[in-house]
Amino acid sequence: MSESLVNVRYMVSDVPQSVDWYVGHLGFQPVGPQSPAFAAVVRGPVRLLLSGAMSSAGRPMPDGRKPEPGGWNRLQLVFDDLAAEVERLRARGVAFRNDILTGPGGSQILAEDPSGNVVELFQPAAVFSPPSPGA
Amino acid sequence: MTRTTVSALAVALASFAAAHGANAQGAAPNPALANPASVRVRYMVDDVAAAVAFYRDQLGFRLDMQSGPYFAALSRGGVQLLLSPTKGPGGASQPMPDGRKPAPGGWNRIVLYVPDVQGEAQRLRKAGVHFRNDIVTGLGGKEILLDDPSGNSVELFQPG
Repeated sequence: MSESLVNVRYMVSDVPQSVDWYVGHLGFQPVGPQSPAFAAVVRGPVRLLLSGAMSSAGRPMPDGRKPEPGGWNRLQLVFDDLAAEVERLRARGVAFRNDILTGPGGSQILAEDPSGNVVELFQPAAVFSPPSPGA
Repeated sequence: MTRTTVSALAVALASFAAAHGANAQGAAPNPALANPASVRVRYMVDDVAAAVAFYRDQLGFRLDMQSGPYFAALSRGGVQLLLSPTKGPGGASQPMPDGRKPAPGGWNRIVLYVPDVQGEAQRLRKAGVHFRNDIVTGLGGKEILLDDPSGNSVELFQPG
């Protein structure tokens, strides 16, 4: 694999369905061999590796734990107009875990892929106003 | 590259000053705008300071900026890792409308290329880093999963 792209791996329950979701909703493009066990999609500098249970990344750990989708760690995609993007995606039936939240660094929302993985959509604030540690 | 470095440094300094009350406005250029070419990944962590030390000292990340215990951004290659605590004023720290609270863990992760995964894993094990598994060989190369201090996984990958 090329080292010019940054790789992020998501565990997914259905690889082809996941490819369709990322390509259809978030502007990714399929890249490389696509199989029921594994596929990759690219968007700008990121290559998202979609690994199913049958891939090497899906193998159980030595202690028996099995890799699975979900959790809270995520890829962040930046948009100029977050509200418009969310409206567009909601109209297409994309599920969100929350509503748009605004913090010191900007506004964000969590979209859920068909396996229950999150993708963060983010619109940076023009200025960053860090809270004081005593606040 | 020089411009990026200078801009990242300016952001880090301004953020540091703001976080420590040196700037009455408490505002600085947004770190997310400092390097728009970066791929950004956010990890939830139990302790931002411990996570910063881990990624900087064990995995070679550079600290771009930190807002006390509430947020930090570090870079390595083309990836910017955003660290958010499970509690705090940041947007990522807030509970969901259904009450679910963001937490560390899971299996989704950044993949860090290393030229010698065996040597790198050995070095990190000696430094006390915990691994979830042993080296796995797949179609694209060799990989192994380590845990950060909060139990988030990072994949080390050696192509070929």
